[in-house]
Amino acid sequence: MKAARFDYLRPGDVGEALAALANAEGAKILAGGQSLGPMLNLRLARPALLVDISRLKALQQLEDAGRTWHIGAGVTHARLEDARGRLSGGEMLSEVAAAIAYRSVRNRGTIGGSLAHADPAADWPLALAALGASVNVRGPTPRKILVAHFIQGAFTTTLAADEIIESIDVPKLSRAGRYGFYKFCRKTGEFAEASAAAVLDPETGVASIFLGALRGIPQPLTSLAQQVAREGKIAASTEAVSQALAQSVSGLDAVEHSMATAVVTRALMQVLAP
Amino acid sequence: MTPIALSVNGRKVQALVEPRTHLADFLREHCRLTGTHLGCEHGVCGACTVLIDDEPARSCLTYAVQCDGLAVQTIEGFNADPIMQELRTAFSREHGLQCGFCTPGMLIAARDIVRRLPDADARRIRVELSGNLCRCTGYLGIINAVESVIAARASKPTAVTSQAAAPPPAPLQAFAPTGEVARASMAAPTPAPEEAHKGWTRFEESFVVARPPQAVWTIFADIPAVAACLDGVELTEHDASTAKGKMTVRLGPIQAGFSGSAVIERDDRALRGTIRGAGSDRGTGSRTKGEILYRLAPEAAGQQTRVFVTVEYSLQGALAQFSRSGLVLELGRRLVADFAANLNARLVGAQMRAAPRTPFNAGRFLWSWFIDELRRRFGR
Repeated sequence: MKAARFDYLRPGDVGEALAALANAEGAKILAGGQSLGPMLNLRLARPALLVDISRLKALQQLEDAGRTWHIGAGVTHARLEDARGRLSGGEMLSEVAAAIAYRSVRNRGTIGGSLAHADPAADWPLALAALGASVNVRGPTPRKILVAHFIQGAFTTTLAADEIIESIDVPKLSRAGRYGFYKFCRKTGEFAEASAAAVLDPETGVASIFLGALRGIPQPLTSLAQQVAREGKIAASTEAVSQALAQSVSGLDAVEHSMATAVVTRALMQVLAP
Repeated sequence: MTPIALSVNGRKVQALVEPRTHLADFLREHCRLTGTHLGCEHGVCGACTVLIDDEPARSCLTYAVQCDGLAVQTIEGFNADPIMQELRTAFSREHGLQCGFCTPGMLIAARDIVRRLPDADARRIRVELSGNLCRCTGYLGIINAVESVIAARASKPTAVTSQAAAPPPAPLQAFAPTGEVARASMAAPTPAPEEAHKGWTRFEESFVVARPPQAVWTIFADIPAVAACLDGVELTEHDASTAKGKMTVRLGPIQAGFSGSAVIERDDRALRGTIRGAGSDRGTGSRTKGEILYRLAPEAAGQQTRVFVTVEYSLQGALAQFSRSGLVLELGRRLVADFAANLNARLVGAQMRAAPRTPFNAGRFLWSWFIDELRRRFGR
């Protein structure tokens, strides 16, 4: 239960971190370390070098950027949790953050680290995909990519070995917009067995429902979202959701299907609550 | 070794540490502060909870080098803390501990709850303490202890300002959606319900190879050719029915290198085969056993072959302890899919399936195929 040997670097700025990634073989970014730590301790991951970005000031911003919330990759779950009531149009962020693992994990775990790690059962890939958030990637060529396109599979993203996530832009919901987020965990704070996120906003026209905790990427339920937007409650019944899942998500066994139906239905109940 | 300077319980500490030494080991073995307990060492049990710059954190998931310049507070450092005094008394009174192993982490987590959530009820306390495991008390005594401290503090005149409740939002209005966020669908076949080996994981896959069954059957007898189509597999020795080799598996930051052997049985008439294998990864201390059944059936009027594969495996050790079953399953499916793509590419020289996650492997394969072609055409 002790990590294999690694070297450690705490760069002074993002440029230095990128240089370290570009020059060192087997280098890995260490953000909060709350997912990487267990993998290191179990020796499932054995990077040659850890580049610790957790103290980089440039990755700590949490700013109102007008139509979006601009969130540095190094912002912890706890900071978003504690911002409850102050993230106008981004209330979902506080709610999702507050239910991630445990407070002592949330104090160090970061939103950028969670996205880069891309655990299929993690909350941020799912919630941010549903919110239509995009990732600002720094590397040889800076780029911006939707979270839903950024995540490629279990623990797999489009992030190259010499790139880091700098920040995330989360579109705000309008005052008429609604969100829902529901997950099943064996025990509070455990990874989800099934999870769903829904965002519907009449003013911006956004209608998205995503199913998470699958074997790979969060799965969009596009036609269900559109139907719910047009028809409301009728389209969000357990039967309707179950049918929509049967049509658009393959690979679920009976138990998984039942759990997926429940989390989507409950997320939609939050969206449609009077 | 890396030099670090930090504050531990208000005292300045300087030391040379290996980067891989986690904070809990540093506290226990260098500072001799053995009140910080280590249970699971992968962030599940909460016994090692300490304060880092005033915030509770798992000291098994933070390395000592990361704490350079920071302030760490362990259970030994709370003697002057009034909340901790109240909690200690309450834990004793309410039977909040028995063996005491979880208690240092429990107390530090409980103090955080009292400070941060002065309105927490029993349910909220349970939720907030869910990251700290106790095997003795059944938690009730612990919850009662924390609740009693919160109640005693609330009855004191220092008023707590509570946030004004936001007005309830209006219900969602029906609308015509425009800007949905979409993503190409991911397809994965349903795993078979029954398992032949108790406790083993099983999945079934099938894929089409652009050659008649007999041709595919011949290739499947060519063990080096089959191995060449399995990403990360390196064959060290083989004969007609046995094979030994290594297999490197990557999944995000996870990397495991399994060494093992396999026995291959083939039924030439039925075009069915069985591969039974076992392997271990010394690095992660993981062991696996598995059985692959494959069956060939004609497709497209016998011009193509559908290969049905049933994989059953068991996994033990760190990889199994860490992994949720779905992830290894995903890995298995990915291996089969890549195998199918590589095999087709090898057989028909078709383009490799676009696979952004393994650009290196795909490149390596095309290169070796190119060299093989050159050899074939121009003699060796």
